[in-house]
Amino acid sequence: MFLTLIRQELLTHLMSARFFAAVIITLLLVVANTFVLIGAHEERLADYSQKEAVNRETVAATPAYSVLKLKVQRPPNPLSLFSAGLETRFGSDIDIAFDSVPALSDPIADIKPDEEYQWTFNRVPSVSSPGAPLGLKNPYLHLFSQIDIVFTFQVVLSLLSLLFAYDAIAGDWETGTLRLVLSHPVGRGSVLLAKYLAAMACLLLPVLMSLLLALIQCSLSRALQFSTEDFLRIGGIVLTTLVYLSVFYLIGLLISTITRRAATSLMLCMFLWVVLVLIYPNWSRSALNPVGNMRAEKRSADRQIAQIREEADRERDRFLENSPLRGDPPIFFDTFDGTDFFKGGGWYRGDFPRVNVEIELKNTADPLVTHLRRYYEFAATLHIQNAEKVSLVGEQLVAQISRRQARWDERLMKFSPASLYTFATAAWAGTDLDSMTDYIRAAQIYRRTLIDAFHERDAFASLQWFSTNQGTVDWSILPDFRFERADVSINAQRALPELLLLVFINLVLFMVTFLIFIKIEV
Amino acid sequence: MRHIVRRELLDHLTSLRFALTTLILVALMVTNAVVHLQTHPERVRKYSENVSASHTELKSRTQLYELLRKGPGKLYKRPSALAFIADGGDAFLPSKTVSAGSWTRYGSASIWAMGVPRLNMDSISNLRPTATVIDWVFIITYLLSFIPLLFTFDALSGERERGTLRLCLANSISRPALLVGKFLGALITVLIAFYFAVLFNLAIISTESWTQLGGADWGRVGLIVLIASCYAGIFIAVGLIVSAMTRESRLSLVVLLLIWVTVVVFMPSTLGTLSTKWMPSVQTHHQFRMARGKTFDQIKSDFLNKRETLRERRQSTETSQAEVAETDISELEIQREFVSKDMEMREQLSREHLAAQSAQVLRARQITRCSPAAIVQYALESMAGTGFNRHLHFLDSSRLHIRQFRNFIVEMDRADPESLHIIGIRKGMSEKPVSPAAIPIFQDKLTFQDTLNPAIADMLLLILLLSVFLAGAFLVFLRSEV
Repeated sequence: MFLTLIRQELLTHLMSARFFAAVIITLLLVVANTFVLIGAHEERLADYSQKEAVNRETVAATPAYSVLKLKVQRPPNPLSLFSAGLETRFGSDIDIAFDSVPALSDPIADIKPDEEYQWTFNRVPSVSSPGAPLGLKNPYLHLFSQIDIVFTFQVVLSLLSLLFAYDAIAGDWETGTLRLVLSHPVGRGSVLLAKYLAAMACLLLPVLMSLLLALIQCSLSRALQFSTEDFLRIGGIVLTTLVYLSVFYLIGLLISTITRRAATSLMLCMFLWVVLVLIYPNWSRSALNPVGNMRAEKRSADRQIAQIREEADRERDRFLENSPLRGDPPIFFDTFDGTDFFKGGGWYRGDFPRVNVEIELKNTADPLVTHLRRYYEFAATLHIQNAEKVSLVGEQLVAQISRRQARWDERLMKFSPASLYTFATAAWAGTDLDSMTDYIRAAQIYRRTLIDAFHERDAFASLQWFSTNQGTVDWSILPDFRFERADVSINAQRALPELLLLVFINLVLFMVTFLIFIKIEV
Repeated sequence: MRHIVRRELLDHLTSLRFALTTLILVALMVTNAVVHLQTHPERVRKYSENVSASHTELKSRTQLYELLRKGPGKLYKRPSALAFIADGGDAFLPSKTVSAGSWTRYGSASIWAMGVPRLNMDSISNLRPTATVIDWVFIITYLLSFIPLLFTFDALSGERERGTLRLCLANSISRPALLVGKFLGALITVLIAFYFAVLFNLAIISTESWTQLGGADWGRVGLIVLIASCYAGIFIAVGLIVSAMTRESRLSLVVLLLIWVTVVVFMPSTLGTLSTKWMPSVQTHHQFRMARGKTFDQIKSDFLNKRETLRERRQSTETSQAEVAETDISELEIQREFVSKDMEMREQLSREHLAAQSAQVLRARQITRCSPAAIVQYALESMAGTGFNRHLHFLDSSRLHIRQFRNFIVEMDRADPESLHIIGIRKGMSEKPVSPAAIPIFQDKLTFQDTLNPAIADMLLLILLLSVFLAGAFLVFLRSEV
């Protein structure tokens, strides 16, 4: 009997015009959006490899250690097709420098005056955060929001599951079939379960079909290659999708059981859908800001950083007191004015005078050269220390402001199952906040290994640190940077809280529906 | 007919859907107003601070040459008082002009040129999750299309199912009268809820003196409300068409919802990015800078050649004092040519780069106009003085101001008989101090006409769509069996 019920439900769903129309629309939307997304991904990939090449060339052409301008990139994540998350909004370029530590964001940027930065020696940059978003040659196109596959499921299929559910009980009750069915020796629980299973099977169909189409489209493009792990992640996304759709089906079923009139149930379902999927996530993000703007904290951190820099300046001045070098660092014009120490003009490069010095030495035997070397070694170490001290403050600030704000937004948004679904899939795809943090960590570690490699070579104290005519620099000492996305198990771990919450909502909804259903009169 | 309208109205007004509609609309409109009250003063304060800082800086320059070299200062875009109606991505679009960079070389210095204004990428690339701002555009495009469908999907198919349609038409009521009755009944119901919410919103916004609206603003709000009503009318007509075509109200709802999702949720963004696939691609910022560097090298080598020949001529000939003075002046002339050519080049390349980008966006927007939701969005943005059209307007008026500013410098220089009138070189220009009051000041003004003009096409398009769909509803209903 149970099987007959399922079969009958399945047939009514599958043969219905609404199912057919919904599947067609879902497929159409997924195909169109996948087309756009694959194009954007290809653009990003081309951009990535071009930047890599440019970086390699720049490094190879760098004549001295101190003027090294190193950038690292993150390869674009192919799973951003499914869930864009932060991937397309978050930049990829990070400057790797001795005097700045990569950070997730620069929360005090907005309390700085509206001037272009006027760098002086005191104002060594502390934070190098990833710049402009990835992709899109024309940045103005960011005015159009990009839609990923998960969003399509989130909107269209949740609507479809409500449309399956709103008359499941109420409709049967009105037409009298419910009474008829229950007159057979079948439990009310099994009727409910049969309806649920049949609907879920029907919902799985468009999910799998559009997934298949998307994968076919991907295989046509050479830019997108999924590894085995990626397929596991996609499996995770499909699982989450099912759990999410089941939430909406059960919401519909509950309303249908309570109202007993198909028309009322429909209205309630539709309004609830609009609120949960469209309104609430946007509303909570733009109307609520529980963290506030944290101006005081930002100011105090700014002061703290200024103090650290002043301290560094004092230390530098102390060092220079005992040195015969006169004039302004890092070139000391006053000391060398009139000597034949340098050749040519315009000796330092870089946007602001920090440790980047590029000099053609004429006379290496000059005793001043030794002093200069000592100073540069001292300055480099000072800058590295300074950057790390500043970074401690910065990290704290990121945790206290940027990350806290993002977390609060997420928490509030999670009152809607639609947002739970978004965050869970972003975690599976590796485009969530945690994955971006992984990237920053990797860049920080890379900076450390780079400094260690320089130390090993004694590069900071060498002539090649600042002079361009002491032989070409051996750049093979640079360690390679390659960012690897986190393991699937870690992705699963990150997706688990949201997934469990969704499952929990499912259970509660099912229990409540069941309890009400066994009590109602038919 | 009046009878039908009254009956429909009574039916709708006492229904659950009307109560839910009003509740949601009011809640959203109140949120919108409260958020605006919190954020707008800060925006205005920042703007006026920036503007006064820029003015003080500008007035501190007394030398004509300094004015030319440092330019008219930063020009800021005035935040719109109607930002709560359409956000228009204003946080992302540039809010000020920037210079195209400067250099000092070969004894001359670059003069100010307008560069490519910077987009505020931070507004996208922060860590907070993305969300659409709850402005009127959001409320209107999503809800004033969704709610009409809920009021009309069973208007005809439901009555047909129950048999009341046949009963109704058996009386001496013509089909057009019935349809118009249904249309007006649904439209008035939706608009009652919407106007109620709008009144709430405007009442809250008018409580604060910071955010009070002026006379022209009220005119804009009136037009915006009209546009919204027209938009709701379109979806009521669509609902009636589908309802008349289907026998089952369930099917009618599904078809309507799928149309709605496609047209309102997906088309405005997907079509926009999709259409750019087939457009010629634009320069990236990197390519733009490379091109600019190349042209600069050309101008520079031109200049160096000319200077070289001049210097050779000076050295080769035995020259009198008068001739030396003359060659000095011609060297200044060559420098002037270098500097002004460079300025024109940088300004022109920036303008072309921007124009190509804007043209792509405008074309993409043209294509997204397939969706009435996009039409309403653009019309509302133009009327509210935000968004992309406003951005273009701001650039135009800054360019106009820069022209005036340069004319002012030339004229002041011409008034001084001691000056050599070589504009762009310190030695060639008047050294008389300029009175700070005389320096032209940029005023970012947006007249009612400026907002109306770009919106008119969109408004006409909406009216056209409304009449097409209404006519469609008549045709379908007249030919359908009851």
